[in-house]
Formats: sequence, structure tokens, C-alpha cells
Amino acid sequence: MTGRATSSPGGSTAASSPPIDLSSGKYLKLWQGPQHPGITGNMSVELTVCGDEVVEGKTHVGYLHRGFEKLMERRTFIQVFPIVCRVCVPEPDFNEYCYAATIEELAGIEAPERALWIRTLILEMGRINSYMMYLGGQAGALGMGVIGQWTTYVRDLMLDRFEELTGARIYHMFILPGGVRDGLPDGFDGRMEETLREIERTLADVEDVMFHNAVFKKRTKGVGVIPVDLIDRYGVTGPNARAAGLPNDVRKDHPYLVYPELTFEPVTGTDSDMYTRADVRRRDVAVSVDLIRQIIAKMPRTGPLTAKLPNVLHWKIPRGETYVRGECSRGEYGYYTVTDGSGHPRRINVRGPSYTHAMALLEHLIPGTNIADVAALMVSLHTYPPEIER
Amino acid sequence: MRDVLSPFLAWKNLFRDPVSIRDPLNREAAPRYRGFHKNDVEKCIGCGTCETICQNGAIDMVPVDGFDPKNGDSGLRPRIDYGRCCWCALCVDVCMTGSLTMSNAYKWVDADPDAFRFIPGVDAKSWDGSEHGYVCAEGHHLTALERVPMDEMEPEARISNFDEIVAGYDVARAKLEADRCVSCGLCIATCPAHMAIPQYIEAVRDGDYERGVALLYETNPFSNTCGRVCTHKCETACAVHNEGEAIAIRWLKRHIMDQVPQEKVREIVGKPGPATGRKVAIVGAGPAGLTAAFDLAKAGHAVTVYETRHAAGGMTRYGIPEYRLPYDALDRDVDVITSLGVDIRCDTRIGRDVAMADLHAANDAVVLAIGLHLGRSTRIPGSEHAQVKKAVDLLRQITDGEAFDVPKSAVVIGGGNVAMDIARSLARLQKQIHGKVDVTVTALEDLPHFLADREEVKECGEEGIPIFDARGPQQIVIDDAGRVTGLRTWRVKSIFDDKGRFAPSYDESDELFHPAEMVIEAIGQASDVSLLGEALTEELAWNRGRIAIDPDGRTSVPWLWSAGDCVAGPDVVHAVADGHRVAASIAAVFAERSDARE
Amino acid sequence: MRTLLESLKERFPLGPITEQRPDLAFVTVERETLRPLIVHLRDREGFTHLVLLTAVDWIEENLFQLTYLVHDRANARDIGLRVMLPRDEPEMESIHDLWPTAATYQRELKEMFGIPFPGSPRLDEEFILEGWVDIPPYRRDFDTLKFAEENFEHRAGRGTTDPATHMRERMATQGGSK
Repeated sequence: MTGRATSSPGGSTAASSPPIDLSSGKYLKLWQGPQHPGITGNMSVELTVCGDEVVEGKTHVGYLHRGFEKLMERRTFIQVFPIVCRVCVPEPDFNEYCYAATIEELAGIEAPERALWIRTLILEMGRINSYMMYLGGQAGALGMGVIGQWTTYVRDLMLDRFEELTGARIYHMFILPGGVRDGLPDGFDGRMEETLREIERTLADVEDVMFHNAVFKKRTKGVGVIPVDLIDRYGVTGPNARAAGLPNDVRKDHPYLVYPELTFEPVTGTDSDMYTRADVRRRDVAVSVDLIRQIIAKMPRTGPLTAKLPNVLHWKIPRGETYVRGECSRGEYGYYTVTDGSGHPRRINVRGPSYTHAMALLEHLIPGTNIADVAALMVSLHTYPPEIER
Repeated sequence: MRDVLSPFLAWKNLFRDPVSIRDPLNREAAPRYRGFHKNDVEKCIGCGTCETICQNGAIDMVPVDGFDPKNGDSGLRPRIDYGRCCWCALCVDVCMTGSLTMSNAYKWVDADPDAFRFIPGVDAKSWDGSEHGYVCAEGHHLTALERVPMDEMEPEARISNFDEIVAGYDVARAKLEADRCVSCGLCIATCPAHMAIPQYIEAVRDGDYERGVALLYETNPFSNTCGRVCTHKCETACAVHNEGEAIAIRWLKRHIMDQVPQEKVREIVGKPGPATGRKVAIVGAGPAGLTAAFDLAKAGHAVTVYETRHAAGGMTRYGIPEYRLPYDALDRDVDVITSLGVDIRCDTRIGRDVAMADLHAANDAVVLAIGLHLGRSTRIPGSEHAQVKKAVDLLRQITDGEAFDVPKSAVVIGGGNVAMDIARSLARLQKQIHGKVDVTVTALEDLPHFLADREEVKECGEEGIPIFDARGPQQIVIDDAGRVTGLRTWRVKSIFDDKGRFAPSYDESDELFHPAEMVIEAIGQASDVSLLGEALTEELAWNRGRIAIDPDGRTSVPWLWSAGDCVAGPDVVHAVADGHRVAASIAAVFAERSDARE
Repeated sequence: MRTLLESLKERFPLGPITEQRPDLAFVTVERETLRPLIVHLRDREGFTHLVLLTAVDWIEENLFQLTYLVHDRANARDIGLRVMLPRDEPEMESIHDLWPTAATYQRELKEMFGIPFPGSPRLDEEFILEGWVDIPPYRRDFDTLKFAEENFEHRAGRGTTDPATHMRERMATQGGSK
């Protein structure tokens, strides 16, 4: 554990350090990735180490590039709908929501009230799942495999709920432009409540075993600090920003769907280190659990699920552009959609939080860290590589 | 201290039951799970809309044994490549019949990757009978099922005049209606003229009406006419018809013609081809004769059309009332044809003014397209009375503006479109002259089996014309003064006998008397073949009272072709198709003769 | 938003303005105006968050549109700055000194659209692509379908039939369309 920069925020040394001369024999290049190390996704970090201290890190992506934004330009507006979810595997629903919302705005369509509630429900279910993967991954990156088993188990229960509601477990393809595909199945409320209880029970266990854990605290407290003045310069959003004490949460700042009708407070922290970020996310799960209960209690059970669409086979949308954002588990997720009057989008740009978190921010935070902490640091930013390269 | 001990709480899970699924291989998916497809192939119409919407290119439309193409069914069925399918179910959502669904089966192991490309519903699978799986939610449609409404004159406004009832779509509504089309093309085969329907509907969507006119004229020089009075069988084949209202194909055709000025239409149609020196005579200036004339003139042949009546148009002018087909619309169609140099000689009757033999002598080919202008009689007692009229004769008189005594009350015998036409025309005249409508329709068929278009029957009712269905005419009652007082009918028990022959049987106890000053027979028409002359009548081969023709429209006499209602029965678009057919046949014969000469 | 746009109009030459929503406006500005305007928005008007920087290819008009979307958190509003660049000479000034994260966007735009931002860190390093030799792939004239056809093989056993063609062929052989 020597040579580990514990107090100074990572990165500040980079500018002042002498240029790295690989031929000096003092440095070693090391690739972390791009094998699939589970939670950190298909990306790699090219590390330059001096002893066990990392002096430079460069993020490399492209292992998962499928050119989605380009593929969307070739598809009709309805045909884009099945592919957007694939931009982000663990929390695909934001793609469906943001895409649908931009299209509805540009085409002048309003999704019915009941669909808005179901969309909100789905987004909160997805948030819990995403956090569950994160908690398991964060613990796993520090050697605590059992947490991953627990959180994967409850995530699986939530996938069962997704399956019965949307007809699919991972890529739900449920939020269509104009509304949602169906209402809640019979008996859903009860099964959802059971799932929420199991999540709460597991969360209590996770708190005991992971957060009240001397080893976890030692490895994460004071490590990977994001100073508050970096937040906007590096486009930091979501829990990464909230852990630094900023109450930035699109659900509150820029309310969408039915969030204005729900009661909640953004979870914040103070220390902006890996521990705080993990803690913010753990507490945010509890917020989502509460939100789902509120939604189930308040949502209308009858009424239309989709707005009337034009014949989707010849659907043309007038020239225009817009941006719609939502608060996903990792921060600001948004779609910038440009239409040109034809039957295909002119351009769609997917703004995922990982784009800034895993690139500029991570590269900034790495110098000065210990080689053993890089994986945990990467995970603590909660990045999903596919949304970087799309 | 807590931070050291707390993690050991993990051990408490040792005492919990395992949460894993005991038998993961046989776990059934949720009821709405999107698994492998099912297709009710009897319900499927092979329209290929599933293929169109599939963003993965996972669906092929393939011929399947036992499913031949027929009206409204291409005979193709979707084959799905699961190497490409992403289970989005847009194909299920868009399916025009609801035949395509998904089971909730998701587990299937096979060593052969090609096994994962199969035709659901044809290649038997274990999940075919599955009750669960994804179906499109009630009310969720990706295409519009309801027809865009068409403005029409209200019954009170239209009953006193012969103004056109239907307003035609404006541009905005036409676009909306055209937008509903899924461009599957099933309608093309059903249309006798095989019009490029999805393409001209696309032209409406694009607002490119000149392209629309060019497309219409490729297959139909009577688009003003057909756009109003076509029997529109295409609409019965429309894919949307399965779960909603068929696209208003006929109105869209009319809409295209409405948007382009006549001079522009002529310009689009173009000039006749370079003169070939060949001459063709056509007897009858109806849609069949004039379509043949159009094609032959385009090919550069000199065409003369002989017409008995005062004006061209045939049955479309003399059989169809003005409120359905205004004369100026028909005139525009005829005008384009004459603009190609076709010489139409009206008031010229073959056999009276010109002999068939002369036509033969002066031309390289002759086409008979003489329509069905003779009304048939019921031959019931009293039917020879002067106040018993034939519908076709009255309709012709109305068209020519000939005065006749409009009866204060009338009863029409017949359930076809001609019966509706004469009943509604008389009603208008009654309203104009007597201020009051009193027309009754009696028909052999019961309403579900009516021959007239549904719209006609509906509009008849709106105009205050009662229809007595399943009534067999028995006697025209004539009083002592020799005046017609009405019609006596019996209820029809059945129209055909066990062998399917026409042999109506009646319930004599159910008798009605329909009082009327005039009785009009509208039970069918025949051709006036007297103009052929005896020699030619002898020479020709006949088929059940009609001139026999081969599939190309050629009669048994080498120089004579025949087309239209007189050989095929009444149907305007069929007559157009016939016109094309004989023109092509004549052109082919001319080409053969040229080859032989060289 | 209206007040802000009015005050911006006084200070900067602005092109067409689109008020997409009460909380979102797009403003077209000249290449030279972008930097002073975005600095003003960031430092004086509270638009501290660079949401995204991306491009749109209007190939028919021979233009690239750069969109700089900035967000004012306190007032929950966004402004999208559009800069139209000639497609044949699309160079643009870098803003990585204003937001370090802009360097990533600019690197991607260089790679995917071929828009250079001189001075932007690691601008020419490969970002997503590896060994790419074709034209920048997010340009509209790069045809993905053609690329796929040329580089990948179709699996045998596929082939489709057009319903209308099939009906025409089959129903003709069945003896006419009657």
C-alpha cells in the first residue's frame, strides 16, 4: 500500500510530473482490459506505472462500437425503437424513454397519462437494477464476491418483474414513441411489493457487510476524490456529483414524466470519495424503492396506453431538433435528435454520463493512484462503455 | 469494532433456504414474454408488412405449398431468421390480420444453425399450441384502421337534383387516407386492369399528382370514371380490410385526377405514336372500345370508333346516373382519348348507317364493344303493358334529356346497381316534378346477398326509397281501365335449386301488393347483336348467347375482336382491362403480319 | 429565456433562433462568435455544464452543423449553439480549455466527421475506430449498407419474394385474372 496517494485528489500531480520516458526503465506500460472484467465493461485503460503507483492512464474504447447513431439514420422512426435500448445493457430503458420523448416532441404527439406513469415505474425499476449491478461490482472489484451474489439475486427478481411487465428481461423494448406497449399484468402489485421487500432486506445486509466493513472503508475512504470544482468542468452528473454535495438530479432540477407528483429528495454526500459515491448509490436504491411504492399506489389503472400514431411505415417528421434528458443511475442521460422532414432521423446523438466520466474524468483521476485501486476507481464512477462509443 | 464484526453477518445466510430456481431448464417464461413466433397461416394473407417493418431484415416472404395466391392473399408466408431477429415484436404489432403472434417459448437447442430459420405455423414447433406469449395489446395499432371520412351531400339536399353526391377528398384528407396504405400490393392482382395502386397512392402521399396521373394512364384511361364508379374489388383485397376499413383506393384515384388540369393530363399522356398505316374500327364508344382505341392510337394505328348514341361513354354515360358520374368527368376521360387522334363517330349505327362488311373491308381489324343495352323482361303477367318499362331504356332517356311522363308512384323489380340507379333517378325526378318521392324496390335476393353495392343500398334508404328484399314478382296488376295499379309479390324461399340452377321457390301465403303507376324491370341486360347481320351471326361462334372469344378477346372470325360488357358482363374496370387485352392482341397480330410480309 | 435571448442579441451577432421549448432554445452563430458567446454564457449566465458537443451533416447544403449544448442548472434551461461550417473546410476552434471534457467530443468529431479542432489534446489519436481508412463514417456520404455488403457475407438460405410480383406471376399461370 505504499506510494498510494490517499489525501491528494488524483490527477493534480499529472501536470507537474516530468514527461514519462519509457526508455528510462523506471516505467512500465500495463493494459487493464479490454477483456470483459465483468462490471467495468468492454473498455481498457492503458496504465503507465512506476512501481505500484500509476502515473498515467488512458481510456481506450471501441471494443463495442456498433455505430448505433449511424444505424438509426438508416431506419424509420419506428424501426429505431428496437435498437436504442442496446446502447446501454444494464439500464436500457433510458434510451427508450429519451428517444420516444424526443420523437414525440418533434412530431407533436403526447403520450397518455397512464403511459407516463408506467414509464416512470420502468425507469425506477431499471435504476434499482443498475445500482444492484454497481454494488456487486464495486464490492467485487475489492474482493468481496458475496455482495455480487446477493445483488445479482435481487436484480434477478426485478428482472422477473420486468419480464412479466414488458415481455423481456434485459432489452425491454416496451416504451414506444407514443406510449407504452401494455398495462400492468394481474397481480403485479403484490409481486412487486415482495420484490421490494427482498431488495430492502438485501440492502440491509449489504449495508452491514459492505459499508460497515473496515476493509472496504480502508480501501475506499479518501480514495478517488472528485473535487467539487471539477464537477462542471468535467461534465460530472448523477451520484458522482451528488457525492460531492451537489443536489444535482434531473428528476428534481428538470422534472419529467410524473416526478412532479412524487415525493423524494436527492441523496447527497459530502466526501466525494469512492466510499461516499457507493453510499449515495446505496441510499438512492431506497429512494427508488419508495418511488416505486408511490407510483404503484397513485398510478391510474385505466385509460389509453398509446397516443394515436400516424401509419408508422410512412411516418415523416418535420425538420427540427431537440434534446431530452433524464436522470439515470449514473447521471444525465439524454438524446439529441435532429429531424429533416424525411422518414428517417437526420441525426441522433446519445449523451451518456459515461462519456465524460470514463474518459476525461477517469484519465484525470488515475495519476497518483495505486495500481490495485484502478479497477475499483473505474467502477466507482459507474461507467458503462457502450454509451461512450455507441 | 462494528466495522470488524459486521461483515460476519454474511454468515447468517447459511441458515436460509436457497433462492435459486430448482429446475432452471423447465422454467416457463412470463405470459407476455416475447419468445419464438407463431403464425396462424390460415388467417395470414402474406402481405409482407412484417417484413417491411423488420429493422433487422430477419423476415423473408416465401411461397408455401398449399397456399396459392388468391384474392387478398399472396400465398406467401413469413419465414423468420432467428440469427437476425431481435424479438422486438414490431412484426406482431403491425400484422394486418393479427395472425402473427409470439409464444413465450425461449429455450430451443439445435446443433444445426439453419434450423433457426423457419416458417412459423408451417414448420411445426413445440410452442405452436402455446397459450401464452406476446400479443399486440388491445387498441395498439401502428397503422390507421379507420377510413378518412368523405364529404357527401345530405339526402335532403341531393334528392331534388342530379348533382354529384360525393365531394371528393381535399389534399389534406387524401394525404391522410393515402398514409394508411401499407403498400403491400395485394390489391394489384384483384384489379382487373392491374393498376399500380400502391404506387399511385404513394404519389398522393408525396403530393406528386403528375406522377400519379402518369401511373394511372399506364393502366387505365378511364380514371375520372373509375375514380367514381369503379366496382373497386381492389378494396376487398386491401390488407387493412382485415382489421379495419379498406383504403379508399377509388376515391384516391379520383383525387389524383381532380388535382391535375386537363391540359396537363393531355401533356402527360403524350402524343400518338408514329403512324403505322394500319386501320382499326371499333364498334361502341364505351370504356372497352375507347381503351382499345387509346392503346392502338398510342401505338400509331388509325382508329375510328362508331357509336349509335349521341355521345361517347357507353354504359357509363347511359347507364350510370349523373349524381354518381357527372358527364363532364366522363367527358374529360373521352377528351384525352380523342386528343390522340381517335375519331369517334356518334349517331352512327352499324347495320343501319354502316354495314359490318364495310368495316371489315376498310380496316385491318374490327373490335366489337357494344355493351349491354337491351333490358331483360320478367315476362310475368302484365309485363307487356306500356307502363312497364326497362330500366336501361329509362336511364338512356334521362341521359338524353328526353321527356317522359314521370309517374307519381313506381315500383322497381331488381336488386342490382341498375335497379338502384333507376330507383334513385326516378326519385329525383319525382321530387322535382311532383314534390314527393314514391319509389319502391323489390328484389329476389335477401339483403345479405344483394348484388348492389352496400353504399347504394344505404343511400337508397337515406333517400326514402324502401327496399323489399326476397320478394318474387308474380303479376303486374292492371285495373279495369287498363291502368297499372301495382305489383304483386311473394316471399322468396330460395332462388336456386339443389343443383344450383336458377329456380326460385316462393311462399305463396306471404303476398304483398306494391301500389304503383309504373313498374320498372331492372333484372339484367343483353347485347343488341342485331347489328351484326345474319351472315356474320352465322359465321361467329357463340357461348351461351354471347360471342365466344379466346383469352385475348379474339372471336372465331379472324378480323374481329370483342371486348367489354357484351362478352364479360357489366363492370367498367373489367371493360378497361378487356380493351387493353384486345389492343395488345391486335398489335401482336399486326406485328406477325409485318414479319410475314418481310 | 426570452429575456436572456434579448440580452444576448444586444451583445452578440446572432443568427436564427429556435425556441424549441420554454427551457430549450437553439441559436445559430458564426464560427467566430461561438467562443466569446459560450464563455459569456458559462461565466456570466450560469451555463456551466457542457451537456454535449456534436455535429450534424447537412450534406445537401454542403454544411456541417456543430451543436454545443450548454445547461444552466439554477434556472433549469439549455441553450444549443449551432455553428454552420462549410463541409469542405470545417475547421473549428477548440474549447478544451473551457471544459477539459470537450477534448473527448472534439476527438470523436475529428474521427467520425473529419472536423478538425487544432490544439485539442490527443485530437488525432484513434478514439473508437482502429485502422480506419475510409471516409469519416458519420458523414452522410458514408454508406453503412454498402460497407456491410462489401465486407461481410450473407448467410446462405435467405431470399424473399415480393407479394405483388408473386401474385402476378402465379395468378397469370392459373389462367387469367378473372
